[in-house]
Amino acid sequence: MSLVAEALVSQVAATEPWPEDATLYQQLKGEQILLSDNAASLAVQAFLQMCELPIKVVCRANAEYMSPSGKVPFIHVGNQVVSELGPIVQFVKAKGHSLSDGLDEVQKAEMKAYMELVNNMLLTAELYLQWCDEATVGEITHSRYGFPYPWPLNHILAYQKQWEVKRKMKAIGWGNKTLDQVLEDVDQCCQALSQRLGTQPYFFNKQPTELDALVFGHLFTILTTQLTNDELSEKVKNYSNLLAFCRRIEQNYFGENGKGRIPLRLA
Amino acid sequence: MERRGGGHFRGARGRGGGKMAAPLELRCWGGGWGLPSVHSESLVVLAYAKFSGAPLKVSVIDNTWRGSRGDVPVLTSEDNTVSQPAKILNFLRKQKYNADYHLSAKQGADTLAYIALLEEKLLPAVLHTFWVENDNYFTVTKPWFASRIPFPLSLILPGRMSKRALNRILLTKGEPPLFHLKEVEAQIYRDAKECLNLLSDRLGTSQFFFGDTPTTLDAYVFGFLAPLYKVRFPKVQLQEHLKQLSNLCRFCDDILSCYFRLSFSGDSYIKAGKSNASEDISYKGLGTME
Repeated sequence: MSLVAEALVSQVAATEPWPEDATLYQQLKGEQILLSDNAASLAVQAFLQMCELPIKVVCRANAEYMSPSGKVPFIHVGNQVVSELGPIVQFVKAKGHSLSDGLDEVQKAEMKAYMELVNNMLLTAELYLQWCDEATVGEITHSRYGFPYPWPLNHILAYQKQWEVKRKMKAIGWGNKTLDQVLEDVDQCCQALSQRLGTQPYFFNKQPTELDALVFGHLFTILTTQLTNDELSEKVKNYSNLLAFCRRIEQNYFGENGKGRIPLRLA
Repeated sequence: MERRGGGHFRGARGRGGGKMAAPLELRCWGGGWGLPSVHSESLVVLAYAKFSGAPLKVSVIDNTWRGSRGDVPVLTSEDNTVSQPAKILNFLRKQKYNADYHLSAKQGADTLAYIALLEEKLLPAVLHTFWVENDNYFTVTKPWFASRIPFPLSLILPGRMSKRALNRILLTKGEPPLFHLKEVEAQIYRDAKECLNLLSDRLGTSQFFFGDTPTTLDAYVFGFLAPLYKVRFPKVQLQEHLKQLSNLCRFCDDILSCYFRLSFSGDSYIKAGKSNASEDISYKGLGTME
């Protein structure tokens, strides 16, 4: 949004504290939501848990259309609606909660760079796998995406979305990539994340930041989602410190000690 | 450094000094305004070749070249043709021309992350400045590229490149609620300025991003920043912002003076120093970079 609109939103956001009835909207969990959307939604949930802000998750079939930017998830707080992790982080910051205040300028630059790496490689690879790999598209994506709609709308919407994603892939140069090349890119990305994490508990040592939330969202979803083949999750499983990282965040923020309300299990 | 030719070793090939030197030839867009190339991707490859010591024979595209211009820069060795900077750099590394051998694992990971940052945040605005902003495109970019493409392609190709740039910007950044191109422009320039600030913070006072020797990341940053820094445009908001970040300007100038000094025929280098936007820098021919 424009600079003026953003400044206005920040100002309005700052005046009210976080309400008890904040809700997060995503698509239907069991039947509709896709890999990339699930990853994004989980990242936002993890971030809000880390900030210790209460959030209720509501599943709606038309979540994508309700969202102001067309992307899920989005949160409804007070009388404002904010979508996607980036703007949500800024919105939460305007309300006075932030995970990255303790970082210096160089670390903040690094954090932003790694978040772009995850968006650039992991998210794009997930989208590729969902929409450009014929096997996955036929078996999983089409039926899930069109689930809430009657025939022929379910087919039309699914094809339309596929065409859109394919166009985007072509524009950024991924149109000619094969599945193996995409999996290689995923491997490279996981290797970079693993090397950056090293033996630390979180990416910036003791305290988790939005980068940890984003990485957790994507990796956990990749590890726990059933696809036509296991190659994607195998790539992640090669890196034991990333597995330990996911388990750690799951236990600390979504575990049985009652902090989280979303039961998740790492297979 | 051991030099290994790509492919099979054929004893009949001529060799000098006991080393097998399969000639590596790079086709790229030419230079101007003091730069060896005004095309970001070509510049990345040229810089990396300098940093890693790869002997490249550089052929600049002029309007007698008949090959496809869509893939430029393109590297040809004996039996391989590689296009796209990332693949070319990989190929050079496999030939043992590696500028990153002294980096730690974490620094290697940082390289990947910062390159992603450049592509996501800075590239849309650079594309916009060169190819979409009307004043810039019609007075500078289009004439420059058209003079290096034979008629009648010179009427079509620049327009196609411009369309492709606009497409990329709109498809990756132009999602609702940014419905107008104006709002997309505002957003991408904001992102680009933030990215420049982050790069400046990260560089600090060191000479290169990872200490005293230049690496892949330096090649990428140089490739993206130098054209923005040097090319004379009518609409210059991003350039003005870059000029305020003195350490990034110093970084570009250092690389230009250390690695690209007078490698080309002195003629065009001196001419390029003049700051005249309408001047046509017609650089043709071959230059050898060692």
